[in-house]
Amino acid sequence: MPHFDTLPDAWLAWDVPAPAAKGAVLEQTRELDKFLAEVERRAFRMAQVALRDPDDALDVVQDAMLKLARNYAAKPSAEWRPLFYRILENGIRDLQRRRTVRRKFMAWLPGSKEDPDSEAQDPLDNVADGGPDAPELLMQDQAMRKLEASLRALPARQREAFMLRNFEGLDVAGTAQAMGCSEGSVKTHYSRAVHSLREQLGEVW
Amino acid sequence: MTEHTQEAVRSALEDRSRALFHESVDGLDLRVRSRLTQARHAALDAAAAASRRPWFSRMPLWTPAAGVAAAALLGAALWLGLPGGHGITADNQSSLEDLDIVASSDEGSGDAIEMLQNDLDFYDFADKATNSGPAA
Repeated sequence: MPHFDTLPDAWLAWDVPAPAAKGAVLEQTRELDKFLAEVERRAFRMAQVALRDPDDALDVVQDAMLKLARNYAAKPSAEWRPLFYRILENGIRDLQRRRTVRRKFMAWLPGSKEDPDSEAQDPLDNVADGGPDAPELLMQDQAMRKLEASLRALPARQREAFMLRNFEGLDVAGTAQAMGCSEGSVKTHYSRAVHSLREQLGEVW
Repeated sequence: MTEHTQEAVRSALEDRSRALFHESVDGLDLRVRSRLTQARHAALDAAAAASRRPWFSRMPLWTPAAGVAAAALLGAALWLGLPGGHGITADNQSSLEDLDIVASSDEGSGDAIEMLQNDLDFYDFADKATNSGPAA
C-alpha cells in the first residue's frame, strides 16, 4: 500500500496508469535506475547543504527515491526530475520543521543544552582543514564552505530556487513545478538569491 | 556599476558556484556513494513491486478507510434510526406486522380492507379500551 506524506502527493498518484506489460516494466526500471543514478549525488549534496547533516541528507534522498519509485514510476520519465525534487524539497522542509519543534521543546526544558543542529554548534566551520596539502584544493574547499554557509543563510525558497536552477540545471518551468509555485515566483526568488549571494561572497570571490 | 558589469558578476558567481558544487559532488566519499546505491536499489525494488500490484491496491490509504467509515456511519444510522426519528420501537414493529398481515391477505377477496372500512368504530373503541388499562 503506498504511503503519502501529503495530500497533494496522494492526489497526484491517482493519475497512475494501469500496470504495464513485463517488457515495458523492465524498460521502465532501467530508465528509472539511470535517472536515479544520475541525480542521486547532486540530490544528496543539495540536501546536505540544506540540512548540514550527511545522515539526515541520506535519509531524505532515500525517502524521495522510494516515493518516486512507488508512486510515480509509471509517469513519463520527462516528469521525474521535477517530481523527484519536489518530493526531496518537501522532505527537507519536513525535517527542518521537526528540528525547529525539537529545538523549541529542548530550549523549554530546564537544564537542556542547545540543539547540536544549530549553526554555531557545527565544529567544521571553526576547525582548520588539515586534509589536502595542495593549496588549490584547500582554497576550493574553503570556497565551497563559504558558499554553503551563504546558501544556508538564504531564506529556504531562495535557496531552493538557486540550487535547482543553478546546480541541477532545471529551467524556470521545471523549477516552478519542483517548488510548487509560479514561474514568476521562481524568477523573483532566484534573482534575490543571486543578489544576496553576491553581497555575501562578492569580496571573497 | 553598469548593467553589463552587473550581468558579468552575476554570471561569474553562477559559474563559480556551479563548478564548486559539482566538484564537491565528484568528491563524495565511498561510504556515501555506497549508501546512495543501496537506496537506489531499494527504490527500484519498490517500483517493481508496485508495478506488480493491481490498480485498486494502489489507491491511497485513506480511500478504503473513508469507505469503511461511511459504511459504519450508514449502518449506525439504519440501526438507530435517522436523526430526529424515534428508531424502531416495539410499537412500530407491531404496526409493521399488522400492516404486513393486512397486505398479505387474499387479494381477490379484499376482505381485509373491507373489514377495516366497516368496523372503524369498533377498532377505535378497542384501541381506547386497551390504552385505558385493565378495568378495576
